[in-house]
Amino acid sequence: MSIVLVGLNHKTAPIEVRERLAFTDEASVASLRMLVDGEIIREGLVVSTCNRVEILAATGPQHVAEAAARLSGFLSEARDVPREVFSKHLYTHADEAAVRHLFRVASSLDSMVVGEPQVLGQVRRAYTTAVGAGTAGRVLHRLVHHALRVAKRVRTETGVASSAVSISFTAVELGRKIFGSLKGSTVLLIGAGEMAELSAKHLARAGASRILVSNRTYRAAVELANKFGEAAAVDYSQLTAHLAEADIVICSTAAGEYVITPEMAAEARESRRNRPAFFIDISVPRNVDPAVGSLDNLFVFDIDDLEAVIASNIREREHEAQRAELIVESEVMQFQQTLRDLDIGPTLGALREKLQSIALEEMKRQRQRLGNLTPEQEKAIEALLMSTVNKISHPVIHRLRRSYDTGEEDNVQAWRDIFHLDD
Amino acid sequence: MKPFLYAALAAYVVAAIHSVLAFVNKRRLTERVSLLALVAGFVAHTAALVADWVGDGHYPLFHLHETISFLAWTLVIAYGVAVYRYGVQRAFSVFTLPLVAWLVFISNFLRGSASLLPSRVIGGEAAWLFPVHTTLLLFAYASFFVAFAASVMYLLQERELKLKTFSAIFHRLPSLSTVDEIGTGAASVGFTLLTLGIITGVVWSSSRNGRMWHNDPIEIFALLTWILYLALIHYRAQWRGRKAAWLSVAGFALVLCTFIGAMLMGGYHVFG
Repeated sequence: MSIVLVGLNHKTAPIEVRERLAFTDEASVASLRMLVDGEIIREGLVVSTCNRVEILAATGPQHVAEAAARLSGFLSEARDVPREVFSKHLYTHADEAAVRHLFRVASSLDSMVVGEPQVLGQVRRAYTTAVGAGTAGRVLHRLVHHALRVAKRVRTETGVASSAVSISFTAVELGRKIFGSLKGSTVLLIGAGEMAELSAKHLARAGASRILVSNRTYRAAVELANKFGEAAAVDYSQLTAHLAEADIVICSTAAGEYVITPEMAAEARESRRNRPAFFIDISVPRNVDPAVGSLDNLFVFDIDDLEAVIASNIREREHEAQRAELIVESEVMQFQQTLRDLDIGPTLGALREKLQSIALEEMKRQRQRLGNLTPEQEKAIEALLMSTVNKISHPVIHRLRRSYDTGEEDNVQAWRDIFHLDD
Repeated sequence: MKPFLYAALAAYVVAAIHSVLAFVNKRRLTERVSLLALVAGFVAHTAALVADWVGDGHYPLFHLHETISFLAWTLVIAYGVAVYRYGVQRAFSVFTLPLVAWLVFISNFLRGSASLLPSRVIGGEAAWLFPVHTTLLLFAYASFFVAFAASVMYLLQERELKLKTFSAIFHRLPSLSTVDEIGTGAASVGFTLLTLGIITGVVWSSSRNGRMWHNDPIEIFALLTWILYLALIHYRAQWRGRKAAWLSVAGFALVLCTFIGAMLMGGYHVFG
């Protein structure tokens, strides 16, 4: 059995092309049913996300080239897009390369942001859709499940997905680094702004239990506070007092001067009995005097600092991706073995069964001559027969495997004929 | 008994190697191997101590090799408590287990030169206090080691957070507040044990020859250590964070002086 993959992604095709070829779930169900003919294309599935459109098919080893051609033709027909529009963006992988590609996609090594978690769910959904359409059989079943397993391994054994690559998650991650758990912590939001809100939301989801909102105009603070469940608007003129309550302070005002001075921060710190505080300053010009950061137990990160952390996290992910590639490589080898067993397995099983049934048949025929036997003796005779059969069939099976591995299909067929396995 | 200590050494070496590997590759499996080997090592180590106690007829904490072996044993316990309470196996293993393996190795190496116990230790009304005194102190030192390790982790991370550049180690250490908590907790436990250890020592000494203080280097260092940790605990809130961590490092340096000083300078507190 061979696997063929045809597709394009964010690296090979511009968004204008990708969007024209994208499939909805319903569209892919209908098209897949048309695509799979049981002859050339035996199984098929479509992975369609905003970054990629890929069609994966199982076919016979002799049909690889034809299957690839069909898949690109299918893409054109199903989405009603002339082939010239996308053919130069298209890549085709067969067998090992196709398996490797799918494993890399599922492990998020082929993503725009390496390690992003969505693609795994998208692969899983593509499979469910294909199962629903009845176009995923035993080959794709094994392949996708193996891909999900590889993705899990990559996730747990490497750091490709372990570090934050957005402002809000970086804030959460740094908060965790300082406070351990964010459970029960208090967040003070000064000013409004999309990024600040998003960060506060992520912090709340990570366990921060109280959100205080402060704004130069009280009414704006109340409005913003209403957006969060557990938030309270606080008086802007009492900022120092509220600073003392806050473990994490997010600043994003349009003020032209520093809103938080070292004096304020030091005073707040004293009434917090020196417990650490984390200042996230995402405003430009900055709202938190950088001198605050030189005070003990106070940690200040401005927008540039956060961006720098993200940049280094991305580098770290790319570095970890190299380790992930090794995992993928070894799993590809393993899957090739699985695929082989899937092909040669039935032959081996049939052979064993055939020989065993001959032995059991003979035993049944000669049973009366043996007279009365205890159940133990009967079992012993059976075991003896089975082990004899296995010993005799062992070299044959060994030969069969080797013939298959070296692609001598005639030899495999010869053995099948000898033992009448096809009758 | 020697075979037990050899077995303990072998298991500790395995645990130490795997702790370093786990720190680097962050694999759960490696971490688990390290933990299992450590538990096996600890059981063998405990058996070795008990066998020594029964076999030699004295509490296995007198000669230098015994002290070192016992210290390693207390380190494993202190480490175990920290890991159990705070779930910080990965980082603390890499600090502790290589040291434990090394100490047990040295202890094995130094064995054989053991002489009989001097009568000054065996005799006296309150003779039973002597092993209590030494045991308490070794547990105190082990706690101070945990506090020291936590403080080093604190300082490393605090520095990186201030500089905003993060090394590979940064992501492998527990959070600032966790190591801060462990540091203060371990220092408090250590201080309590140190206090009790000093008291039992003083009582034992005075019951033996009527003198409570001998101007011995180990006594002076112990007193300094005691004062330093007293200050650390008393000013816990004011010095929270970096200052407390540095103090804890200094405290541990004093502990080392106590230990090494005693060996080098001789005096009343001589091992063996």
